[in-house]
Amino acid sequence: MAKLTIDGVEYEVKDGRTILQALDDLGLLMNGVDVPHYCWHPKLTIDGSCRLCQVEVEGFPKLQIGCNTPVKDGMVVHTKSERVKHAREGVMEFLLLNHPLDCPICDQAGECKLQDYAFEYGVKHARTEEPRRALKKNVDLGPTIKFDQERCILCRRCVRFCREVPKTGELAVFNRGDHSVIETVPGMQLDNPYSMNVADICPVGALTTKDFRFKIRVWFLEEAPGICTGCSNGCNVYLGVANNKVYRYVPRRNDSVNDTWICDVGRMTYEEIGAPDRLKLPAVRSDSGVLEAVPFAKAIDAAAARLRSLVERKGAGVLAAVASAHASNEDLLVLARFLDAYGIRHSGVTVRRGDSDDLLVKAEKAANAEGARTLGFEEAGPLAKQIAGGGIDGLIVLGHDLLDPAYLGGERTLAKLDTVIVLDTHVSALERVAHVILPVRHAAEKDATYVNHAGRVQRSWPVVEPSFEAYADGEVISRLGAALGLPGFDGKFDVREVSRSLGAAAAAFRGIDLESVGEQGIPLAGKG
Amino acid sequence: MGLKVPFVTGYLTEHFGDDAFPTLEGYRAKGGYEAARKALGSMTPDEVIELMKTAGLQGRGGAGFVTGLKWSFMPKKGDKPRYIACNADESEPGSFKDRILLERGAHQMLEGILIGAWAMQAEKTFIYVRGEYAHPAACVQRAIDECYAAGILGANCLGTGFRHDVVLTRGAGAYICGEETGLLESLEGKKGQPRKKPPFPAEYGAFGMPTTVNNVETFSHVPHIVAKGADWFRGFGTEKSPGTTIFGVSGHVARPGLFELPLGTRLDEIVFQHAGGVPNGRKVKGVIPGGMSMPILPAGQLDVAMANEFLRERKTMLGTGGIMVMDDTTCMVRASCVITYFFRDESCGQCTQCREGTGWLHKLVTRIERGAGSIEDIEILADVTSKMEGQTICAFADAAAWPVQGMLRHFREDFELHVEHKKCPFPESFEL
Amino acid sequence: MVISDAAREKIRAEMAKYPKPEGALLAALHLVQKQTGHISGETAQEIADLFGIHPIRVMEVVTFYNMFYDEPQGRHHVHVCTNLPCSLRGARELLRGLEAHLGIEAGETTKDGRVTLAHEECLGACGYAPMLRVDETYHENLDLAAAKRILDELE
Repeated sequence: MAKLTIDGVEYEVKDGRTILQALDDLGLLMNGVDVPHYCWHPKLTIDGSCRLCQVEVEGFPKLQIGCNTPVKDGMVVHTKSERVKHAREGVMEFLLLNHPLDCPICDQAGECKLQDYAFEYGVKHARTEEPRRALKKNVDLGPTIKFDQERCILCRRCVRFCREVPKTGELAVFNRGDHSVIETVPGMQLDNPYSMNVADICPVGALTTKDFRFKIRVWFLEEAPGICTGCSNGCNVYLGVANNKVYRYVPRRNDSVNDTWICDVGRMTYEEIGAPDRLKLPAVRSDSGVLEAVPFAKAIDAAAARLRSLVERKGAGVLAAVASAHASNEDLLVLARFLDAYGIRHSGVTVRRGDSDDLLVKAEKAANAEGARTLGFEEAGPLAKQIAGGGIDGLIVLGHDLLDPAYLGGERTLAKLDTVIVLDTHVSALERVAHVILPVRHAAEKDATYVNHAGRVQRSWPVVEPSFEAYADGEVISRLGAALGLPGFDGKFDVREVSRSLGAAAAAFRGIDLESVGEQGIPLAGKG
Repeated sequence: MGLKVPFVTGYLTEHFGDDAFPTLEGYRAKGGYEAARKALGSMTPDEVIELMKTAGLQGRGGAGFVTGLKWSFMPKKGDKPRYIACNADESEPGSFKDRILLERGAHQMLEGILIGAWAMQAEKTFIYVRGEYAHPAACVQRAIDECYAAGILGANCLGTGFRHDVVLTRGAGAYICGEETGLLESLEGKKGQPRKKPPFPAEYGAFGMPTTVNNVETFSHVPHIVAKGADWFRGFGTEKSPGTTIFGVSGHVARPGLFELPLGTRLDEIVFQHAGGVPNGRKVKGVIPGGMSMPILPAGQLDVAMANEFLRERKTMLGTGGIMVMDDTTCMVRASCVITYFFRDESCGQCTQCREGTGWLHKLVTRIERGAGSIEDIEILADVTSKMEGQTICAFADAAAWPVQGMLRHFREDFELHVEHKKCPFPESFEL
Repeated sequence: MVISDAAREKIRAEMAKYPKPEGALLAALHLVQKQTGHISGETAQEIADLFGIHPIRVMEVVTFYNMFYDEPQGRHHVHVCTNLPCSLRGARELLRGLEAHLGIEAGETTKDGRVTLAHEECLGACGYAPMLRVDETYHENLDLAAAKRILDELE
């Protein structure tokens, strides 16, 4: 440990860190101690070229850049001196010299570090009459990103990102001096599974995602924390919300999960939340075989009636429940209680699998496969075989992953069943075989916890409210249990209470619940 | 092409008129490689470094750092190979001395390199020759080949068992590769963008290995110091700046060319006696004393000894010893246009202040030269240089800012006259 | 394939001189450009393949250094130094004279593809100004007549 004094306050910092890294470790950078910076990024190599993070270090005649100056024990740093102010003003004026004055039509406005720092640290009026550099506008860098060369301040974060994170290296600075421009090689595109991160780390409006640009001004967005449910990595995100609609995901820093990144596929899963194919209406199949929309309570009653009738005829032994690995811990715990209370012995979890890489993308394409396993749910492979082979007549399905080729492959097998009750977020082929359909909430619409591939418990918050009637799976199951008159089911669902019971259900959850998980998550017992 | 031997010679250049001297045979005939034999055969590496420190040789590439001290920064132990880089990227406008040292004295430089290699226990030297120096590079390659054939370089240098290899690398046209870490980047096949420090080259240099970078002329002095001793060397020059150097004089003089003279020789002596003064009955207006990065001196301040301890008092430096003389027809705003254009063109573009500042300086002086500038522009010019200076990865931004500061310090009137007349008031000045 | 086998051999020999083969990238570009006149995207790809690097690494280097070209050039490069020591001794007049003589401006190539004329920053010939460089050869202490003669003799 080393003692570092900044603006008169002494801190203890880890050895071998630079001034900015030490401030970042302390959580103070631009959050108590303001050292503005452009090229430095906590998850990229140090560049040292923007020169904005210059500070005064006692014992050094010249100003030093905070990003690359190693902390020495006893070092005394000043970030607010006149010399520092003069230097920052200089850098800001130089950067604005050739920057187009197009903030009113720039999509970055509102989250632009050039705007922010110019206001905070810059000079108040331009002193140049010379025409600004005319460079390429609206460049199509690849399938996901647009580039405005004129707005680029050459911090080279994007260049380093492509070289260091996906290691695809599609971008470089060409030419030199004030002719320097960022380009791709002619005929090659910025096209990698993480390409859209360059827009997040671009401090100005030079790189924007084709998906988000011009959709909405960022100052209308509320950035709400949440997690991506596209795979079992559980990348932390901010959901950009306005008018009860999610406009985007941007990665939220979590050094234990996703650093500051998210894959492009995961980023785009925000579209699922407000998708047109959301399952919106509870429905019951009529005697004539058509699905008819009914009020939610009626659908619950119909489901209960069908189940009761089947059990009366054949006993609970012919019932089974299959949950998607998208279901939260709380949903799964209520389901487990339901299975117990009703005497259902057949159950399992379905985990859709796909490509993975050694960065963030995991093979299990759902948020909570590890949570399901921890709660004792076994993979539904054998159960699927049993369903296909007969012996199961009634099925409660949470999510449509059962249709994955790894399990049933399609709806044909399910069509033979006496009773199929479906709880789902989106319309799927299950609609054609279900007897009762019950819309449920997406992770972004509920309080819930999930366990990622590494055993880290993370949570979601209700950041948007569905425009139709839908409940958490746990609540629907609770109501179904009450309708069936199962012991311990009164139809109420208190997600906090359920989450507090997780520890009793599985020791690994001990001491973990919705409240304790927080924004950064906590590891399951034994996984820390 | 013709032979450009110095008009005044000293120990470095005394044999440069001898056509055999560039060959190994000719060099040996003048005692060549005896100093290396002495160093490798009878001195420890530390003794060589101590000798260099005692001699007080300062680097001749521009910064003037004490060579022996620089050599002592190399780690003494460790598994990593140690390298030397010889900076032959001479690109400082006004400087053309290394070229003759490469063309006529390649063996002298190689002998200095071999002694340095022994002192620092380096296994390899990269000689980085600027790309445009095709002929000098060929001369050096020939000398290297001769050394390998004669067993001076290679697995068993001079039969001592010491191994040293020398590789010639050609640049490709970028002034910034003369900056030592820009040079290292270029050696690695990259853009020549200077590296942030720390780490320093002695710790993390070429290909990540401990490396010392010295200039061509610096190495060329070394065999003489080893052969004749520190006292002999200190017999030339001033107490703080010992030895000779090769001054290059260009611009408005009767006899432009090279002059090997002791450090501390007066600038007016070099300009008026050695270089023959200003022709055509004109007078001196200003002299840039050390290559274009160094601030100009006005005619009244030429009574200065050419050594850093004296030049610093006049807010300028020796640099590479490239002396540019401008007569009284010269428009200093025009000269500033040429200077700022150069730095704008050669900035590597990494650091904000340098990338944007060099362009701004050039635009400002060009506008003033056109007659479209204001008094405020002159103030801005000074302010811009103050925001470029001392704040960047390498000294290039300083090198771009200082000459403008020098111009404003001594020739501000030229700038003001342009504003006043709304055009260039120096009709006889050199063309732009 | 753009790069000849002989050039490939030479490049491999250069690579062997460096602790990491990329050290020979500038040497490779010099060698190849001597044959091809400029480094096209296709050529850059071949060089990148030789070195096992991304072609963008080749192109960023090509565009950084003055002596590498990413566009076709004339058969001969005529570079007039216009830095201060040369300008003080008439380099600009020399350059204008050559522009008129060739009927092109600095930065352009003659219609017959014979000469690309350019101005250049300091070439290390300050004491022998004005001067110009034709390909790899320096011509110093010139006047316009001498410079024209040199250009006229180029094939």
